[in-house]
Amino acid sequence: MTSCSSEPGCITCGDVAVPLTVLAVDGPDATCADEQGRHEVIATELVGNVVPGDRLLAHAGVAIERLTGV
Amino acid sequence: MRFVDEFRDPELAEVLGREIAALCEPGRHYKVMEVCGGHTHTIYRYGVQDHLPESIELVHGPGCPVCVIPMGRVDDGIAIAEQDGVILTCFGDMMRVPGGRGSFLDANARGADIRMVYSPLDALRIARANPDRQVVFYAIGFETTAPSTALTVLRAKQEGISNFSVFCNHVTIIPAIKAILDSPDLRLDAFIGPGHVSTVIGCRPYEWISRDFGMPLVCAGFEPLDLLQSVYMIMKQFTEGRAEVENQYGRVVQYDGNPVALKVLADVFALRPFFEWRGLGSIAHSALQLSPRYADFDAELRYDIPGVRVADPKACQCGEVLKGVLKPWECKVFGTACTPETPIGTCMVSSEGACAAYYNYGQYAKQRLTLEVLR
Repeated sequence: MTSCSSEPGCITCGDVAVPLTVLAVDGPDATCADEQGRHEVIATELVGNVVPGDRLLAHAGVAIERLTGV
Repeated sequence: MRFVDEFRDPELAEVLGREIAALCEPGRHYKVMEVCGGHTHTIYRYGVQDHLPESIELVHGPGCPVCVIPMGRVDDGIAIAEQDGVILTCFGDMMRVPGGRGSFLDANARGADIRMVYSPLDALRIARANPDRQVVFYAIGFETTAPSTALTVLRAKQEGISNFSVFCNHVTIIPAIKAILDSPDLRLDAFIGPGHVSTVIGCRPYEWISRDFGMPLVCAGFEPLDLLQSVYMIMKQFTEGRAEVENQYGRVVQYDGNPVALKVLADVFALRPFFEWRGLGSIAHSALQLSPRYADFDAELRYDIPGVRVADPKACQCGEVLKGVLKPWECKVFGTACTPETPIGTCMVSSEGACAAYYNYGQYAKQRLTLEVLR
């Protein structure tokens, strides 16, 4: 969903981070969905324990922060 | 779209623009640097400058991860990729960055195996799937991206994956801002701070800018209204005689950053004594290398790397663009010899590079201005 090759540029190189919602948790990883409903597996070690429904900010396949209030 | 549309409302943008204009001191010119390439992209894509009075000039900074990679480090990556049995992996934009011996795409055409990945964890998956090959991740990026590399190294160590290593080119934003403030070429009034870098490091590391230089810095989100609100907050500081670090991106950025990510960074990485930045030269303590605890995963120790400094092409003025001294269109080769299809300089490669952003979107801003003049 967040391919490097997608237009208008490489979101990983561009320091772009994506808001996601946790759908299911599998050990340190979580399957998440973006606003368009596309799924992605994200590493969650940097944000502590997560549960379905949590909102995360992800960059390069890793959650870097929890989102609160959005 | 939720959490996006409300930050792109053109009517609100106009209101904010008027309020910003009302805060400007007559006759004064304000130079505000947006440090992050993602902000540069938003400014050109959405015409943010059009909503600001002429007296506020947005100056583009060095925060584009691809743009600051010097040519010699591209050649080092190619040298690794040319070794027997190596799969080099990197982010998408990195594939087209020109080095002294061409780009990674050119190296692939000569027989190298360089693959694009979305995450360093994808590189680790490739290593697991190819136990007879050596997989190297060409790591670039600021503090937003470094935690994902660090986490990948931790997982590789935990799983005992010995055919994986990292060629580390991660850089840190604070020394680059210091280098810009020390540069005699540019006089700035304020900074728009990088939103996602600040998600990791927080706002506190910028406080010296306000304290020692008397300049406001506002950490900002990446939507057009985020940027306009940040400029408003900066102007408000000027009118109230304040110089502080403020956080406009409170829906994401905590003032103290992400402590877990910072702890992981401190464990996996160590500061390099020096690192060469494209355009800014060698800056002390401005980049990361793997700490000795993770030496087994350090590609610089595993492979024979040339490490030769390669001068930028003479015609290329990326250095001046990265420091905000030149606007993209003032470069001699902008839009002629150097285009996104055939980039000479790094600023034309990444969409977050000021040149590519202006090439793709800025021309429309100029057309809008021309139409207004004709009217």
